[in-house]
Amino acid sequence: MTSANTMNSNSSRRQKTPLEHILRVALYICLLGMAAVYLMPFLVMFLTSLKDVEEIRSGTLLSLPGSLNFDAWVKAWGGACTGSSCNGIAPFFINSFQIVIPAVLISTIIGALNGYVISMWKFKGSDIFFGALLIGCFIPFQVILLPMARTLGWLGIANTTTGLVFVHVVYGVAFTTLFFRNFYQGIPSDLIKAARLDGAGFFTIFRRIILPISTPIIVVTIIWQFTQIWNDFLFGVAFSGFDTQPVTVALNNLVNTSFGGKEYNVDMAAAILAALPTLLVYVLAGKYFVRGLTAGAVKG
Amino acid sequence: MANLIIEQVKKRYGTTEVLKGIDISIKAGEFLILVGPSGCGKSTLMNAIAGLDDVSEGRIMIADRDVTYADPKDRDIAMVFQSYALYPNMTVEENISFGLEMRKVPKEERDVEVKRVSEMLQIDHLLSRKPAHLSGGQRQRVAMGRALARRPQLYLFDEPLSNLDAKLRVEMRTEIKKLHQKLGTTIVYVTHDQIEAMTLADRIAVMKDGEVQQLGSPQEIYDNPANLFVAGFMGSPAMNFIPANVVSTDNGVMLELATKTPTLLPFPKKEALNAYLGKEILLGLRPEMITEPQHHKEGLEFVVKSHVNVEVTEPMGADTMVITRITDSEINCRCHPAYPAAPGSDIELMFDTSKAVAFDKNTGERIDL
Ligand SMILES: Nc1ncnc2c1ncn2[C@@H]1O[C@H](COP(=O)(O)OP(=O)(O)O)[C@@H](O)[C@H]1O
Ligand SMILES: [Mg+2]
Repeated sequence: MTSANTMNSNSSRRQKTPLEHILRVALYICLLGMAAVYLMPFLVMFLTSLKDVEEIRSGTLLSLPGSLNFDAWVKAWGGACTGSSCNGIAPFFINSFQIVIPAVLISTIIGALNGYVISMWKFKGSDIFFGALLIGCFIPFQVILLPMARTLGWLGIANTTTGLVFVHVVYGVAFTTLFFRNFYQGIPSDLIKAARLDGAGFFTIFRRIILPISTPIIVVTIIWQFTQIWNDFLFGVAFSGFDTQPVTVALNNLVNTSFGGKEYNVDMAAAILAALPTLLVYVLAGKYFVRGLTAGAVKG
Repeated sequence: MANLIIEQVKKRYGTTEVLKGIDISIKAGEFLILVGPSGCGKSTLMNAIAGLDDVSEGRIMIADRDVTYADPKDRDIAMVFQSYALYPNMTVEENISFGLEMRKVPKEERDVEVKRVSEMLQIDHLLSRKPAHLSGGQRQRVAMGRALARRPQLYLFDEPLSNLDAKLRVEMRTEIKKLHQKLGTTIVYVTHDQIEAMTLADRIAVMKDGEVQQLGSPQEIYDNPANLFVAGFMGSPAMNFIPANVVSTDNGVMLELATKTPTLLPFPKKEALNAYLGKEILLGLRPEMITEPQHHKEGLEFVVKSHVNVEVTEPMGADTMVITRITDSEINCRCHPAYPAAPGSDIELMFDTSKAVAFDKNTGERIDL
């Protein structure tokens, strides 16, 4: 923060040469161009979602809709058919939240505890334990599909929301542990020693000293896990039952279910709706995300 | 108030032995200083005393109770860390009272204790601040306050002043000394600053490579170092080590220095030198024992005058250090600032060997103990 501020004030205090001006303008043009490239698909989606089927067929991708018409949104939310039911994606939204919220919370808590132990209560083999956990970050989704299906069946939670929460927690713990461990690595071990001498135990130290200084990394982890789990399709399609499908699976079904002509406007509206929660999370907590990723050791 | 006994304590990390059998015993209320170069195992020993790290072998007793395997919180000790280790999420007040809270002291008593400690350390106006908003000196005080609040039997200070600037360090040094005189609690204090060691300690343990080289009062360590390492470590500038030949003369065994015209010096414990007749030893002579000729010392038994060539002078205000060279060894001499000693010139100096010590050139051990 401070270094960024001083850098800014330095460069604004100094007079810019003409060349620097030109470079600066070129830089902005470049950035705007890139932003446009990234925003274009979204713009197309948004415009399409506001048109009716007739307009879509007759106009171009970028032509503006004739009128503001939210019928497609209403239908995507509450009336579109996903497979055999025609209740829109609203019910699956709820499914997704029922999976995401517990999965994010549980994997974050476990990750925090793991990171705390691995970086501050080193035991024989804790480094090997951490190394093994890290491998979990590199295992592709597909690899665990079959073993996981067997495990879920054996646990009796196949096709349930609980089962999906379980899968996401298991898969997410590797990442959350890594995040917390790296963050805690920067916390001086003297802090723990001081607390032990003060008479605090394992959980008291965690709750009273470590957790309160973990806000940046908690935010990072929650955003990361939320995005991962909300956007997950493969686990959702493989392990959910019909009435526990997450919104991503429902979206796929919605797009693939058509009676007569394709309703691109409804598809687009549904896709935007399905992406809204992650978008919101970034808008609301994005600056903490960046801050958390760059936060170093805690300064006494 | 508690005594502390450390018996044959060893600490190994894998195959490397960091502590190689430490024996230290101090009485209740004593101020023990651990000094030694960095990496010699001072912090490791502190952690062992505190119970933050298990020892591999040996025994630690506090107040005649064997605590070798006791939990840190059951040893009734408090520690001040070099990094201060203040809880960043807590205010100064919460930092100080956390230990009391953990020990289930009621809120009213905690408040009284925080007030007492913070007034004593003059940090009572900072109680509601977070550590991030304190200066280095203030943090140091809070760290001390946290240790003082619990009134433990034993205080451990691990280089508590090394992060302060020179002026503050001297101030805090005095305050710690006053504090010890007032509280009378046993203190183990790590430093690598030998002035801190001399000024604060009742007893000093000089450590090197995981071994205690010598344990004694500051004056013992200064006057009677057990070996070359201790002699060279304590004192600033360090003791001079002058190569000298042990020769037999009409006046008995004497030490011959290779000055331009050889200087013969008497030595208090002559008999110790007999075994070294005809050989070279190292004569240990503190800088203040080589001075300009002083009238009141003229003719004393162990005082000899000789000429040397001045290499450099370093005025220090109260004295001027005159640096000369005898057989490749640099020699520091503490002279009066008014004594003329131009670099390059030959001057007369007075050698006083009444407190001189002698070391074996090869082993570095004292030969006149
Ligand atoms: N956890 C550890 N594992 C291996 N070696 C260690 C560990 N902690 C300290 N050491 C080694 O022990 C020696 C003594 O360290 P320390 O007690 O911190 O020295 P000092 O405090 O005197 O500077 C050092 O050489 C250090 O490298
Ligand atoms: Mg140390």
